[in-house]
Amino acid sequence: MKTATSRKSTAAINPPSKDETKPVVMANRRFSLWNFWIASLALKLLLMPDYFSTDFDVHRNWLAITNALPLSQWYRENTSQWTLDYPPFFAYFEWLLSLFVPNKVRQDGCLDILEVGNFGWPTVVFQRLTVIASEIVLFVVLQVFINTSPLSERTQNFVVASSIVISPGFLMIDHIHFQYNGFLFGILIASIVAARNKQYLWCAVFYSTALCFKHIFLYLAPCYFMFLLRAYVLNFKDFKFKSYKDLIFIVQWTNLFKLSAIVIGIFGACFAPFLNDSPQVLSRLFPFSRGLTHAYWAPNFWAVYSFADKILTFLMLKLPYVHKFAIKIISPPLIPASILEIKQRMLQNNNGTKGLVQDVAFVILPQITPKLTFILTAFYQALAVIPLLFDPSFKRFIGSLTLCGLASYIFGWHVHEKAILLVIVPFSFLVVFDRRLLSSFMLVTAAGYVSLFPLLYEHQDFLLKCLYTAAWCTIYFYAFKKTSKLSSSVERRIFFLDRLSTIYMFSLLALVLGVQFLDVMNWRYQTFQKFEFLGLMSYSVYCSLGIISSWIGLSWLYNFDEPLWMSD
Amino acid sequence: MIPIKKPKKSDNIVQSFYASPLYDFLYPFRPAGSQWLTEYVIVLFALIIRCAIGLASYSGMNNPPMFGDFEAQRHWMEITQHLPISQWYWFDLEYWGLDYPPLTAYHSYVLGKIGSFINSKWFALNESRGFESLDNDLKTYMRFTVLLSEAICYIPAVVYFTKWVGKHRNQSPIGQFIAAAAILFQPSLMLIDHGHFQYNCVMLGLTVYAINSLLDEFYAPAAFCFVLSICFKQMALYYAPIFFSYLLSKSLFSPRFNLPRFLSVAIATVLTFAAMYAPLYVLGGGLTNVVQSVHRIFPFARGIFEDKVANFWCVSNIVFKYKQKFTQEQLQFYSLIATTIGFVPAVIIIFLRPKKHVILYALTACSMSFYLFSFQVHEKTILVPLLPITLLYTSTDWTVLSLVNWINNIGLFTLWPLLKKDGLMLQYGVCFALSNWLIGNFSFVTPKFLPKFLTPGPSISSVDDNYRRRSLLPENFLWKVAIVSSYVIMVLIQILDIFVSPPKRYPDLWVLLNCALGFACFSIFWLWNYYKLYKLSYKTMKQL
Repeated sequence: MKTATSRKSTAAINPPSKDETKPVVMANRRFSLWNFWIASLALKLLLMPDYFSTDFDVHRNWLAITNALPLSQWYRENTSQWTLDYPPFFAYFEWLLSLFVPNKVRQDGCLDILEVGNFGWPTVVFQRLTVIASEIVLFVVLQVFINTSPLSERTQNFVVASSIVISPGFLMIDHIHFQYNGFLFGILIASIVAARNKQYLWCAVFYSTALCFKHIFLYLAPCYFMFLLRAYVLNFKDFKFKSYKDLIFIVQWTNLFKLSAIVIGIFGACFAPFLNDSPQVLSRLFPFSRGLTHAYWAPNFWAVYSFADKILTFLMLKLPYVHKFAIKIISPPLIPASILEIKQRMLQNNNGTKGLVQDVAFVILPQITPKLTFILTAFYQALAVIPLLFDPSFKRFIGSLTLCGLASYIFGWHVHEKAILLVIVPFSFLVVFDRRLLSSFMLVTAAGYVSLFPLLYEHQDFLLKCLYTAAWCTIYFYAFKKTSKLSSSVERRIFFLDRLSTIYMFSLLALVLGVQFLDVMNWRYQTFQKFEFLGLMSYSVYCSLGIISSWIGLSWLYNFDEPLWMSD
Repeated sequence: MIPIKKPKKSDNIVQSFYASPLYDFLYPFRPAGSQWLTEYVIVLFALIIRCAIGLASYSGMNNPPMFGDFEAQRHWMEITQHLPISQWYWFDLEYWGLDYPPLTAYHSYVLGKIGSFINSKWFALNESRGFESLDNDLKTYMRFTVLLSEAICYIPAVVYFTKWVGKHRNQSPIGQFIAAAAILFQPSLMLIDHGHFQYNCVMLGLTVYAINSLLDEFYAPAAFCFVLSICFKQMALYYAPIFFSYLLSKSLFSPRFNLPRFLSVAIATVLTFAAMYAPLYVLGGGLTNVVQSVHRIFPFARGIFEDKVANFWCVSNIVFKYKQKFTQEQLQFYSLIATTIGFVPAVIIIFLRPKKHVILYALTACSMSFYLFSFQVHEKTILVPLLPITLLYTSTDWTVLSLVNWINNIGLFTLWPLLKKDGLMLQYGVCFALSNWLIGNFSFVTPKFLPKFLTPGPSISSVDDNYRRRSLLPENFLWKVAIVSSYVIMVLIQILDIFVSPPKRYPDLWVLLNCALGFACFSIFWLWNYYKLYKLSYKTMKQL
């Protein structure tokens, strides 16, 4: 009733250009991200005086290095501990930014190579503005994504695009914590958009460029490789197997040459100046000396594993018969032979736990080697990539991209919690295809964004990050629910699991508030300070539950649900 | 080319902020099933922007020995919880002695107790003066208390008000929410409360509750809320004549003498005042304490104006030095006369025709005359007249909306010297631009200068392709000239203030220019408001 009256009133004000009562035709609708940019710009400007992490000084140092030193020294300079450890394209980018440093900022100490940066407000403003400016790439790419999509899909694609541009992930990581993810993901998304538009060469161009900016995108490489291979290089159309010679003809050789020329060309442009120095550059890019988990465990499988280890240790120390029982089932090399050994191992571990990045040694459970994490990641990525070989559609590609991201996030070595964006961003493109993906998506976004909260540990950001994430979730869970397609098999949804995931998400709120409460009480009850790790641990364990179940849910749909993947 | 149709006065019923960015944002939540979401979204973003403003510095940050309003509030939390109530209005008056009514003191007491429970260092007696820590903990806590007070007192009241007005004027639900958002994003209040640091939102929010009660015809609760508002901050007295006259008229004449109503209002008022002052009397040394608190609340010993403020006395003081020609008492008397002349017509009108739709105009007339002519006015006091003015965003009259927006901008501009002192330049600029952009004042830019696909018209909203939203300017040519020229002067003064240092002989020149412009605009608005009040008092809500 209410809507009826208001519709009438809108019609009254619409200028009588064509037809008074006719609603705006779909073709006339423009889906613009302009308003989102302005509104988020206002918020980002207000966030400038906020806390920034050491990453700020890291990037400032890179500005200084690239500005002051010749190319050959970029990867050798080590006055500060924040050495350059991004691929060369990013270094060029920093160099480009350093050209625009105004005199006032320069005098402020922005471009000084020091052990610890000594700078003030002008540098902060300059660097924050570079993040805001470079993020325009993300907006442009997503606007192109909307404009090049078919009319029938524009509404849902607009939801996808706007959900990404104002994502709490970018706000927290880029505009408070300080990084350039918006810009870098803009390039990655460009490759996704190219894949959607079947412009495979552009897809390769953007992906390899993105890779040369930030090598974390390497996690997605298997998927891109398989997709481009199957969709662009191989052609099974007229394939009839007579002898092995025929295999030669499924390869479209010209395409292969074009593709490899482009990829090699980009990598060449990126790494050629550093060819003589390649071992040094590689050692900077891939520091294998780091531990399995970060000081704050990223919410993945290893967080659960570490948690289980802690619990088992506690149990075995308090209740020795648990150990006696366990030792009967599992032979000693896999678990400690005696209680004494447990205590010894704990002592050893405690010596090194105060550092930020350290090796984690487990007390009860078997140690994890980089090789094992690599095998696990590769295995689950292969599972995600193989279906692409049979069905190189865009939907499949996005699905496999998401699963690749998830597999490496859940099983990878030294995963950073920020890497969750590598999952959430592709997943946003996927979720609109089917309503049943929604609960998996909601789980991973809610848990993923909440798992970023410990990055902004200062109390002044607490309300901001909570409210912003809550607002985003409220708006976009609603919007995705409204716009994602209902497939015929929707009855097969398991309502019990949906309820469970709703309960999970609401208890995330309880988790956040509870941990914050403990944190605030720190001032009053000094004893709480000893348990500071408890808050972080509950964050990572609880969030990892959500992320892992989301992965299981998505994998199920990806591998066993036919109607979902049928082309329209 | 299709001629662009301007929205005429006949289009009154439609959403006033049609095709503005707020409309674009909120339009997708239009389906009846999801309107509850809109409310949450607006409130969430209102809170988010307040949090973001709160990251900036506050008044007197790192500025010993006296610091600023932040320290004053913190100091009151300190003394109220550590000293007996008999000492509250007596303790070390030189250093931010308590000079607000008792409800502020109780409010400080509760918040101070909670704060001390968290960290006793923040409010340790005498030792915590000027407490500042590197990790901003105290600042965070204090900002949180403002946010909490606002979330309880101000935001629900405003949302309720817009819904009430919308319902009684057949505004579409989305239109009501847009009005609510426009009011909640009013920049001056956000910047003063969450940037500069004060608790004006409590006083203003209680007043809005009182207005809501009047609209719902709950007279005793209205009196109760309004007395609470006065007892939080004496500035609410600027509204008092109107509330008094409205309630009196409603009890005496409309439609006939209503004794139960009269008694309930009278009793509610007296009891609330009594309850507020009882602790001072009973627990704290009797009448002298009450008298001292009143003495502290009305500082007649101070000058006729403080700092530079855009009212009559300060601006005319440029040519006519009052302080040399008259004594303090004379000035008090003259300002009293001037103020009374200023507000009495409004009181008479509201007494003769106590209608709901003129309440806001009457409150504006009355509080604005206090601001312009009364004694000891601060620049922050502009928030008091700005409240009823901003609530007029619920109107659908283009002229009213334009003038409301204009006076809000001028009001914010007169706060510039204060905000500049607090180091809130960035926040000032962003809020200025954001609040105007949200209600569509810059929407004319987009079709002209952006490629077509970027123009945010018919995206998810139903705005027609060729529709251009105009900026909020009245139809009347004279008004247009006045407003545009005031904006031009404003920009000029702003540029001078930022980039040019004032001549040595007149170090306050830019500030005085600012005040002069402010005074001129406020007076014009005040006169127009009287005209509007008079005309509307003959109409009914239905005729609007």
